[in-house]
Amino acid sequence: MPFWFARGLRRGVVTTRYPARSDGSAAFLPTPPAFRPRQLTGQTADRLVAVCPSMALRRQDDVLIFDVGACTACGRCAEAAPDAITPSGEFELGATARSALVKRIPIRGETR
Amino acid sequence: MTPAHFPVPPSLPQAAATLNGVVGPLADLGGLVISDSGATRGAVTVRMLDETLEAATRALAGTAGVRLADMFAADDGPVTTLRLVWAHDRGYLVTETETEGGQYPALSEIVPAAFVEECEIYEQFGIGPAAGEPLNRVMLPPHAGQDFPRLGHRPPQPLDGAHARHTVEGQAFEFPFGPVRQVGVESLYYGLVTSGEEVVDLYLFTWHKHRGVEWRLRGKTPREAAFFAERVEGLSAVAVGWAFAAAVEAALGIAPPPAAARTRAVALELERLYNHAAAMAALCQATGLSVGQAAAEIALERLLRVNAAAFGHRYLFGVVEPGGVSRAPDADVLRRELPGAYDELRRAAGALLSTNSFLDRLEACGILTAEQAHRLGLVGPVARATGLPMDARRAGPYDEVPATVVTADGGDVLARFNVMIGEAAESVRLISAFVDAGTGDGRTPLPVTGGMGLGWAESPRGEALAWVALDDDGRITRARIRPGSVRNWRGFDDACRSQNVFTDIPIIEASFWLTVAGMAR
Amino acid sequence: MNAGSDGTRTGIGAGSAGQDPAGQGTAEVARQLRDTIAAQFGRSLHIRTLDTGSCAVCEQEIRLLSAPYYDLHRLGFFFTPAPRHADLLLVTGPMVRAFDGAARKTYEAMPGPKVVVATGACALGGVYPADPFVHGNVGEVLPVDVWIPGCPPSPLALLQGLGVAVGRLAEKTPGLTFIAGQDIPGGAG
Repeated sequence: MPFWFARGLRRGVVTTRYPARSDGSAAFLPTPPAFRPRQLTGQTADRLVAVCPSMALRRQDDVLIFDVGACTACGRCAEAAPDAITPSGEFELGATARSALVKRIPIRGETR
Repeated sequence: MTPAHFPVPPSLPQAAATLNGVVGPLADLGGLVISDSGATRGAVTVRMLDETLEAATRALAGTAGVRLADMFAADDGPVTTLRLVWAHDRGYLVTETETEGGQYPALSEIVPAAFVEECEIYEQFGIGPAAGEPLNRVMLPPHAGQDFPRLGHRPPQPLDGAHARHTVEGQAFEFPFGPVRQVGVESLYYGLVTSGEEVVDLYLFTWHKHRGVEWRLRGKTPREAAFFAERVEGLSAVAVGWAFAAAVEAALGIAPPPAAARTRAVALELERLYNHAAAMAALCQATGLSVGQAAAEIALERLLRVNAAAFGHRYLFGVVEPGGVSRAPDADVLRRELPGAYDELRRAAGALLSTNSFLDRLEACGILTAEQAHRLGLVGPVARATGLPMDARRAGPYDEVPATVVTADGGDVLARFNVMIGEAAESVRLISAFVDAGTGDGRTPLPVTGGMGLGWAESPRGEALAWVALDDDGRITRARIRPGSVRNWRGFDDACRSQNVFTDIPIIEASFWLTVAGMAR
Repeated sequence: MNAGSDGTRTGIGAGSAGQDPAGQGTAEVARQLRDTIAAQFGRSLHIRTLDTGSCAVCEQEIRLLSAPYYDLHRLGFFFTPAPRHADLLLVTGPMVRAFDGAARKTYEAMPGPKVVVATGACALGGVYPADPFVHGNVGEVLPVDVWIPGCPPSPLALLQGLGVAVGRLAEKTPGLTFIAGQDIPGGAG
């Protein structure tokens, strides 16, 4: 065991300081999309609903309902409508209510 | 009807080797048609009559260098077609037979590797071998009635007997373990038969995790299905995704752009690297060496961060797509970050190979012989550790940069550990070579047409196979996804039996490094 | 058992204590009890994992929680194999129907107060729709207190979710709109 002990001492501490300080590696994590309502036409919204493989998007009249909980951050919606979608950068998504993960995005309308 | 000569499709150079070495002798049996159009592309396809199947299987099983890689069925209208996939060191051979009367010859008597597939075919299609051992339940749970969704039209009569056959000599105690097991591992049910501490027998049930992926893929487009294919066994997302994409490409008669093919190879080798690091950490945990486990986990985390920085996902999801790849790796990041991450792994492995208390637990533990590996159709590091030089890294980008196959002798846990260490070094070399040769993104467009195709890739735990049949609208009528785990769990009970005690089981499980998800699908 | 789709649930022990429309006094006592429990859990928590049919990657991220980079032990969190000793059940997978009995037994073996955390898109209702093989959502079988999205959720996301579950970290999602230009930078809104 002294061999491993000495090796560990030489190696040093690698534990990240999260959550006290954000971890640099977080910048490379895939994150759910954020939407730009001005670029989100009805046609675009229908295309996005069709392309999502994980049932995270559905349309209700002039609102696009986005279920962050079902989203896998696969990126297919961003590929289908690159003007209307940008990475949100958010990965700290723990929620106590399931409804807090369901978001309403206005289609071709004003932002609230 | 024996063909006078064998026409070789120019798109399949391996076909010549397969035809001459393997199919040639079968021609004497009669009732054979070698077919490429309208049959499985990506492999040489031989259609044979029901009467010929047994003799053909016997002939193939007895041919050196040939092993059974998979067996599955598909309902084409009222007829159930049975397909066997044979692996040859130069390519694959698919035999297609329309079964009659709900039965086919007792193939597992000739090729024991076919037993699990016979059980699965019976559950899903209601057709069974004409003779042989009683079949087990494999994927469908006990409550699955006649109306439970199946891949075939004909539900089977209810199965008797809920567990694998085993012989118990002398006094033994049998107890169930699982499906909820240690923290942080997948759900899996073992039945352990023990006399004292020694493992007399061990059998597995995986129905607790059966998600019905092959059933779910019917009617989907290839792109829709690829999302599920890579989630069949997430730790082999690139390999299973590649096998599926290659099957679709073969069916449609297209190939990915060369730069995209090299990207696939880079992703596959990165996947191999992190899986071997994770297996090393699991081995340390199983042997109680916490510091070694921490060292391997540091290497694992660094490798996952390289994956995220290079490909945008720690586990490389969403990289491989039918037709090509969705993104190219960041070559600068790979060149800069990978050597340091691999160095962690190499030093941890070196330190472990100098720790006698660790090596003592691995030596002579969980031994499999080359004969067992061949008879049970095992693949990957488990098979290579018995000395069998099999590797599915053939064709495509590996024509340009061939992979050196790493084997070992002894077939024990230590041999498997040594194979993984050797493969990790080889993976780093391959990544560097592919990046230098030029990686890129890009997809060949998929024509909307029908076809059948076979695809394969070498996952970290062994050969992953996929087979698809597409209708004229380009949608899936039958998808077969066979991760490496399906083959190798078959060898797990053999490896655990006799000479091993309870505490050896986690060590053997770590050295196999399979997933339950890949088998249960 | 309902699983918080109406948004009135809070983190701890929602299986037994909870709504009491008849007595405000009782509700207040319950709230104080939950806060006390949260304070205790916040310092020392034992976690049991439960795989209901995942693809194995969520399990790998969970295993990394005890690895050097993340080291959940420094936060007072520990893994335990025994449900009897566990405070929190960390559930992955789309709840394969054949697993229901094992899931319920594991949950019932845990003494109260206890917390259920569902993690990964499969467990939250994504990837697999409900069909004869799977429920598609862990909340169909177990009363879930905290939901952690991701495919897989990284160890950082898991740590944040566990922090929310014990009341050490505030939730961010209720305040996020996922509309670019509002709370999220990077684009004409």
